[in-house]
Amino acid sequence: MKRSIVFTVGVAALTLSRLCAAGPADYVYTPTVEYGEREIDFKAGRANTHDADQSSAASLGFGYGARPHWFTEFYAKYESQGSGPTHFDAWEWENKFQLTDTGEYPIDAGFVVELERPQDHSEGYEVRFGPLFQTDFGKVQLNGNLLFERHYRAAAGGPMEFGYQWQAKYRWKEAFEFGLQGFGDVGPWDNWDPADEQSHRFGPAVFGKLPVGVHEAIRYNAALLHKASSGAPDNTFRMQVEYEF
Amino acid sequence: MIIVYHLTVMRPILFLALLLPSLCLAAGTEFKLSIRNHQFEPAVLRVPAGMRIKLTVVNRDPTPEEFESYELHREKLIPGNTSGIVYIGPLEAGRYPFFGDFHPKTTTGVVIAE
Repeated sequence: MKRSIVFTVGVAALTLSRLCAAGPADYVYTPTVEYGEREIDFKAGRANTHDADQSSAASLGFGYGARPHWFTEFYAKYESQGSGPTHFDAWEWENKFQLTDTGEYPIDAGFVVELERPQDHSEGYEVRFGPLFQTDFGKVQLNGNLLFERHYRAAAGGPMEFGYQWQAKYRWKEAFEFGLQGFGDVGPWDNWDPADEQSHRFGPAVFGKLPVGVHEAIRYNAALLHKASSGAPDNTFRMQVEYEF
Repeated sequence: MIIVYHLTVMRPILFLALLLPSLCLAAGTEFKLSIRNHQFEPAVLRVPAGMRIKLTVVNRDPTPEEFESYELHREKLIPGNTSGIVYIGPLEAGRYPFFGDFHPKTTTGVVIAE
């Protein structure tokens, strides 16, 4: 009996830790806030692993620059596993705070706080937060973010997880920029997983903004990420399209 | 192997941590730009190259305007009858066009760094 409980808790914890890992539709946060801007935001991604089902995720959100230094956005998130149907996964509320005016200091800083309520209430609430950094070197823009994530009120509680994101892009033309993106999850923030269980992914990315009217634009970015550690999917395609108005 | 992985991940973190003190190194030369009747005044702004510039944008129109420039990598909404601060640079010598995103045909200007 005791062994089965331990096994069940172990499986639940492993499942939860996988859910905690960055999803295929994740994107690289930037610390800047566009005051007054509204956006409809679509994100999607697919991760493939040779010995497991592919996983897909997508989200549709509405965001608003409510204050000069505060951007808030609500998402509905969907996912599917293998050949299974796409189903509603969670509600998410993202809040981004710009801590320094853009260009005021050599490094722009911000902070993100996300609250997610999974459809499966046994997963409790997921909180994700962390500092966001950005700097420019001429036409090259660099971003680096540190993210902490934890489930609360979950059937199988777990430790706070630590991850990171980065990107480097060359601002060639407004409609087309290119560079690299990377995502990683190392496990519990104070006791990292063994190297072969960590997830590190990076790959080429494209970005751009297409004006479609007065104070209206389509902004996009996409990346093809390859595994850089054995705990990561073989490859992940992720993309984001925003209609800003 | 684990140490190598930890160092690989820690390196960007340490890099960011080491750069944090530079957040205290703000410096700048100040300039002022007005928006009136959906036009920038002055429309040509000459600034020193190689310096961080603090640009105060005063919107004297009752309607909002957005200071925008891809070349300067800046977007900043200035509500009607208010002002806002836009930091630009340090710039290499050259021309950097900017415009008002709500009235892009009339609200135009250029920063000339020299």
